[in-house]
Amino acid sequence: MNITRRDFLKQSAIVSTAAATVGIPVNEIANAATLNAEAGWRWDRGVCRFCGVGCGIQIATEKGKIVATKADVDSPVNRGLNCIKGYFNGKIIYGKDRLTQPLLRMKNGQFDKQGEFVAVSWDRAFDEMEKQFKRHYKELGPTGVGFFASGQHTVQEGYAAVKLMKAGFRSNNIDPNARHCMASAVAGFMQTFGIDEPSGNYDDIEHTDTMILWGANMAEMHPVLWTRITDRRMNNPDVRVVNLTTVSNMSSGIADLEIIFKPQTDLAIMNYLAREIVTRNAVNWDFVNKHCAFAAGPTDIGYGLRGSDKYDYAPEKDTNGRELTMQLDSYEAIAQGKKPGATVEQKNRNSADKHWLISFDDFKAGVEPYTLDFVAELAKGDADESLDAFKLKLKALGDLYIEKSRKVVSFWTMGFNQHQRGTWVNEQAYMVHLLLGKQATPGNGAFSLTGQPSACGTAREVGTFSHRLPADMVVNNPDHRAASETIWKLPAKTLNPKPGSHITKLLRDLEDGQVKFAWVQVCNPFQGSANANHWIKAAREMDNFIVVSDAYPGISTKVADLVLPAAMIFEKWGAYGNAERRTQMWREQVPPPGQARSDIWQIMEFSKRFKLKEVWGEQKIPGLKDAAFTDGILPDVLTDSGYSPETTLYEALFATDANKQFKWPDAVGKTHDNHTAKLLGDHWFPEKALFEEYASFGRGHAHDLAEFDVYFRDDVRGLKWPVVDGKETHWRFNEAYDPYVKKGSGFDFYGSAFKSLPSGNLDGVTNPEMTSIKGRAKIFFRPYAAPVEQPDHEYDMWLSTGRVLEHWHSGTMTRRVRELHWAVPAALIYMHPADAKSRGLKQESIAWIESRRGKIKATVETTGRNRPPKGTVFVPWFDEGVFINKVTLDSTCPISKQTDFKKCAVKIYKA
Amino acid sequence: MLKKHIITALMAASSLITAASAYAATPVQTNSMGLSKTSVFDVPTPVVYHYTDKAPGQSKLLPRAYLGAPPQVPHAVADFLPITQDSNMCIACHAQPDQWGKKPVAGVATAIPPTHYTDLRNAPGKVTDHLINARYNCNQCHVPQTDAPPLVENTFSSKKAR
Repeated sequence: MNITRRDFLKQSAIVSTAAATVGIPVNEIANAATLNAEAGWRWDRGVCRFCGVGCGIQIATEKGKIVATKADVDSPVNRGLNCIKGYFNGKIIYGKDRLTQPLLRMKNGQFDKQGEFVAVSWDRAFDEMEKQFKRHYKELGPTGVGFFASGQHTVQEGYAAVKLMKAGFRSNNIDPNARHCMASAVAGFMQTFGIDEPSGNYDDIEHTDTMILWGANMAEMHPVLWTRITDRRMNNPDVRVVNLTTVSNMSSGIADLEIIFKPQTDLAIMNYLAREIVTRNAVNWDFVNKHCAFAAGPTDIGYGLRGSDKYDYAPEKDTNGRELTMQLDSYEAIAQGKKPGATVEQKNRNSADKHWLISFDDFKAGVEPYTLDFVAELAKGDADESLDAFKLKLKALGDLYIEKSRKVVSFWTMGFNQHQRGTWVNEQAYMVHLLLGKQATPGNGAFSLTGQPSACGTAREVGTFSHRLPADMVVNNPDHRAASETIWKLPAKTLNPKPGSHITKLLRDLEDGQVKFAWVQVCNPFQGSANANHWIKAAREMDNFIVVSDAYPGISTKVADLVLPAAMIFEKWGAYGNAERRTQMWREQVPPPGQARSDIWQIMEFSKRFKLKEVWGEQKIPGLKDAAFTDGILPDVLTDSGYSPETTLYEALFATDANKQFKWPDAVGKTHDNHTAKLLGDHWFPEKALFEEYASFGRGHAHDLAEFDVYFRDDVRGLKWPVVDGKETHWRFNEAYDPYVKKGSGFDFYGSAFKSLPSGNLDGVTNPEMTSIKGRAKIFFRPYAAPVEQPDHEYDMWLSTGRVLEHWHSGTMTRRVRELHWAVPAALIYMHPADAKSRGLKQESIAWIESRRGKIKATVETTGRNRPPKGTVFVPWFDEGVFINKVTLDSTCPISKQTDFKKCAVKIYKA
Repeated sequence: MLKKHIITALMAASSLITAASAYAATPVQTNSMGLSKTSVFDVPTPVVYHYTDKAPGQSKLLPRAYLGAPPQVPHAVADFLPITQDSNMCIACHAQPDQWGKKPVAGVATAIPPTHYTDLRNAPGKVTDHLINARYNCNQCHVPQTDAPPLVENTFSSKKAR
């Protein structure tokens, strides 16, 4: 019988509906009603709003409301499956406290920072926003304003935001919450391959024999990929799954091997694997000689803390002081070939990313200390496990990677990325795979997963980071600026060459008054950033103006001065890019409620309030040093530019003649509306125009996207870039699949960044002459480094934080869905029963969790889905009532600037 | 106490909406916004919630969120988890293909439907005689429910699911 997936599902739904109502009498009428239920529904496809997997969904609307969603059976990502969150893509938009009007803090009819929120019109909201922006911009220049962007921004929203900030306001102070999510992955990709994003795709799961999870609880965080892994494992007795983690979790259920390690010792386990590969003569020399080069960098790079104690609470001073000098413990000393107890000045904290070529012999010497005995003693994370048992596990892990005929995929997410040496540990994953030649082929590869639905598509590909421009370009490269200025039709030297503040620094800038205006879109930074007590206070007590565009009130709206009601995902047109380079689009399905508006409309309406003469004249940029610029100055670019000083940023950046060629309405819209286009009123189609303009950055540069309309074709369920001659690319850097690979090379790591380097040894550069390693990937030696804060006699436990399956990020959407809220109503302290008992706690006790930075209360859970070893607690961060980021440490990877939310020291006691 | 809390929350939520729609000058108390009705500087004490302790067969089915939504688990599950390679206690009761299309019987577990016996990735048209392993992790979609009151009302219309 030849029936389609959809026909089949329809039929089986009928059968299952009948069978699914056990306990309730079924009558024919009820059944018939169910069968007719879809009459009048309009189905259209979309993409899930939540994690980085990017599941396809189908959305049913009726009379302007979403009435159902289902997993898209035709999506190669998820083939008819969603996770429990995914099934509520429709319901999340119907929480009764949706923000439907702008709210401004007022007293006596005037804006007042100490006032309460009052509903105002959009005009009034923009009037105040404009006034406050201009006040601070005039005083401080482009570096005095900031934008908190998002991995949940659509591609077009991110593009509009970055263009407004960088080309319009000439400020690089835009950074996404994705900085907290995968900046370490980006830095790892750029340093290793010279180009961002994974070589493989999700089909690796069905092609491989071995899946190794490093700090990735995929059962909860990437549930639909986990269904594919489970299917692969359960159907194939020779397939192996390994779960490396600091907390025993749901993924261990399907794993063949669970390895519990101490926080940050993944660095040492990786080097043990490298040492095993070398000592067992398992290096794939043919691959390594042809396609790789060995590299190293400085180790005294700090921990991404402020480096000044001016704003520290008294208890913070000891941890934060280590930013400048660190005393090595015995493990770190051995791991780095130094003397235990030595005090190391962190000289390279502002040059953490520099690196150079080394020889294989240097590499071999680097991994030499990482013997099984040394690493097992350092890394064993469960006090109840014997050292011998742990050693056997490490050996088994080595066997799986090294076994010649075995294909291996390593997956990781926040365990690696939110890490004080996140870039290093990402690079170590490539180190292992490259040494073995198990990279960039079906079923083989180190595969960095992402957390957010468009961390890849928007934050990374569009480049909403403080140092980036679209298509992997960066602001501090003159060629990249020139290329961007050409596409954007900007006068030369409009773009600011000095990277702006990353998201953690933006918060520090608010605290010390360097940034006085901030706009937040599609993120909740005041709940989601570590060491939050500092930032909520800065928001409320400093002379600044904080604008938060959001759909629901949350922590960030509560500390804002102006709240703008935002349209949610299916209330606007958009595109997301998932973790396998798949770009997916959707149409506006329903109108936003009340006065809520899309983020694009908000950006463009605001841009109408600026004339070029207000932004493109001379601007001061403290600390700017660049050969092409006068120190500290961005030049006047308006005079002789051909632009009128009276032209608005809306006209110069967005409603350009070229963009207005894309008309709304458009055939691709079918029966769907576009509130953004209608309200802007110029009869153009901003989402399509912006997408095409953005795509021109990457076409011909290995970031090729298809044309806008292609993504809406019935036979397309997203496409993996580069899309060349209408064909997507399944595996990059592999000649058999990637049209950008040089013919005859087999593999070609053609990314161009950081491919010309000096040479040296493990200690530093010995030959400054630059050597080209074009076409090669780097195998880095990166040593173990101890965490900047470890448990001690007072703060005696590790705290790790993360997500739960049922809730998304800060919970503002999923906690408004009854079924999800009922499933997990509050964040708990997951802890070992023995640790609870020794503190006079038990299941359901209320306890304080206190660090040097703050304290909160939560309920103790000793039997739940997460089972930490003794000495560790795990607390999810979705619950604003259990505001765990008041406790966490704002240490970052010094290279990627991504916060380590996975390790700090706390004490737990009865409340 | 709890009830009072909910009512306050709902009133706050609705007053926000009313105030907004009329541009009324009535200010919205910041601390009444969001899901925790406190100042961001406060440290609230969490309420302890409980999952049902009803054994399978003793509980009533919960209403579906909408047509096609995965049914929630109405009974206690603590003794049945975790699901591992070797153990899936859900299947033990819910794998009931002989119940498909039949009138449900009180006390008999809801049958896992035919969709779950179909390999949508590799053989989409064919109902097999076994549960597809992509569906093996039941608790990725089917979750138990606590006695927690909703934090905010939700107006999603689910009448078609009835």
